[in-house]
Amino acid sequence: MKKSCIGLLIAALGVIPATGFAQVKVGAKAEAGATIDADEGDAKAGGEAKGSGAAAAGEGDLGAEGEGVGDICKIDPAACPVLDMKKEAARPIKESIYAVQQLYVMRARRVEFNPWWNATSLNDQFVQHKGPGIGINYYITNVLGIGANFRYYAPFNADSKFNGQVRRAARVAVPLNEYQWGASLDFNYVFAYGKFAGFGDFIFEYDAYVLGGVGALSTRPIAVIDPDNRNFAYKPKLAFDIGLGLRIFLSKWFAVNIAIKDYGYNEQLENLQTNEVDPSKQSDWLGKNSFTQNVELQTGLSLFVPFSFDYRLPK
Amino acid sequence: MTRNPRFTKRLLTALTAGLALLGITERSQAQELYLTGPLAGAPAVRKLRLYRQTRFEIAPAVSFTLLDEYQRTILLGARMQFNFTDWLAIGGWGALGSAIRLPTALTDNIQTVNQQRQAQEAPCVGVNSPACAGPNLTSRLTGVNLGKNLKDQLGGIDWVVAPQLTLTPLRGKLALFQSIYLDTDFYISAGPAFIGVTERANCNPCVGKFKTASRTAIAPTAALGLSFYVNKWSALGFEYRLLPFAWNIGGFDTAGGGKDNQFPDNKISDADQRFRVNQMMTISYNFYLPTQYKVSE
Repeated sequence: MKKSCIGLLIAALGVIPATGFAQVKVGAKAEAGATIDADEGDAKAGGEAKGSGAAAAGEGDLGAEGEGVGDICKIDPAACPVLDMKKEAARPIKESIYAVQQLYVMRARRVEFNPWWNATSLNDQFVQHKGPGIGINYYITNVLGIGANFRYYAPFNADSKFNGQVRRAARVAVPLNEYQWGASLDFNYVFAYGKFAGFGDFIFEYDAYVLGGVGALSTRPIAVIDPDNRNFAYKPKLAFDIGLGLRIFLSKWFAVNIAIKDYGYNEQLENLQTNEVDPSKQSDWLGKNSFTQNVELQTGLSLFVPFSFDYRLPK
Repeated sequence: MTRNPRFTKRLLTALTAGLALLGITERSQAQELYLTGPLAGAPAVRKLRLYRQTRFEIAPAVSFTLLDEYQRTILLGARMQFNFTDWLAIGGWGALGSAIRLPTALTDNIQTVNQQRQAQEAPCVGVNSPACAGPNLTSRLTGVNLGKNLKDQLGGIDWVVAPQLTLTPLRGKLALFQSIYLDTDFYISAGPAFIGVTERANCNPCVGKFKTASRTAIAPTAALGLSFYVNKWSALGFEYRLLPFAWNIGGFDTAGGGKDNQFPDNKISDADQRFRVNQMMTISYNFYLPTQYKVSE
């Protein structure tokens, strides 16, 4: 038994000097391991046949005198292509290179889930209408989609401190409104796509889209003229929206989504006059209507389902 | 020293296993892929048009302030910088804001009410009657804050000079409607800003005193921008800029008294300057000199 253990110990010691040969850098000669030709997608042992792979493949496919298309030549000698490879190689090539070859992300027949947070109201310095939202879009083609979205504002409306300061300083009250929820049906159109190289090193893709639609926005006035007597209920109004967005793709199904959307609707403002005889008379609480636009900056994510897709043509 | 054979056996086995483990972990090395062919070791982008590298940039620009409470300012100016590399530039942005100022609806609204009050108040000057109690009270309550014309006491940005460093981390191209292709880049600028501000002058007492005074504020500034290259020597630029500093935009007495100095103190002082993250959007047309760009390997 002792002998077997000693044998094992010697075997273990033998393991210590064993060294795995790591691959050397590109361009250096390999001592061991596989060689993968990036263009051929072909593995060759020992690093041999370097540089010959491309030539060999080329000749195999369509060599001089049509050697590589023997089957065609046997079936129909008249259709047998005869090419002088030296002459063909000398011919000037004007290769067309497209700005974006094989789009990184295909949207056609995929569903996009787009949760977001309304980071700020870009044109309302008096009440910020923040809140979460979610959009679901189905892309009919690669650039055209239809979708629906829902936004929830109620607990997140923020009446600016500035409003109180103005009321106190100038003795002028400005009618204010807050939102409860919004929903709309939209068309999306992807009008631009491209790619960025970060410091010339890593590359990511992005696209830009416009959207437009119709829906509803539930709002109410904040009682500032006569807050002791007035208490408004939320009421949905017809709302139109247009927007411009940018998606930065981190993978083929996941993107960061930033959008600016403008929701236009007819707002009912609080009446600047008070009914001193009967301030509880609700029909006197509302004043004039005003077409109002709320421009929101929304920051969120896009998740495309199904997660993968196939290209119609190879690259 | 023990003579127990079982102990010796266990000791040798443990020692063997330990050495074997040490041997495997210490000397084993990972295998790397050996790439050959034209793509092996190639940069992510070849033949990149270096629109910025060692080029001087002059960009006339128009800036529009955002989320203004009392008046919008349109600043006319330019950005000038030298691009040492395609991703690093030093230069500055300067603009004048005193030329074009547009009052907001709030300003018009307050001024309308202010004029109505002045009309009601006029026959009541020096009159102590019940009919004049209202106008006199309103006049007293707003005496520190409202002059004859609100627009005359509003604060404004007169000029801005901002030396800045610009980093351009992203370069790319854009396909518009699948037919127009544009080279683009995304940049970030940052630096200190010197801002000429006109605002209501400090006063105590302040009733009837609505003169303005100028000062220079120093604040950090940062901008995010996109350039769309139209040709070899020019580009269209869009920029979003932040310019945070404290100033008295309305000329009102809003702070300086009461708890935490959050209540009016009937005088205009530095306490009435409100910290505000001033925002603006800029549209520029950028010219690059020399007119020919370089191309990377």
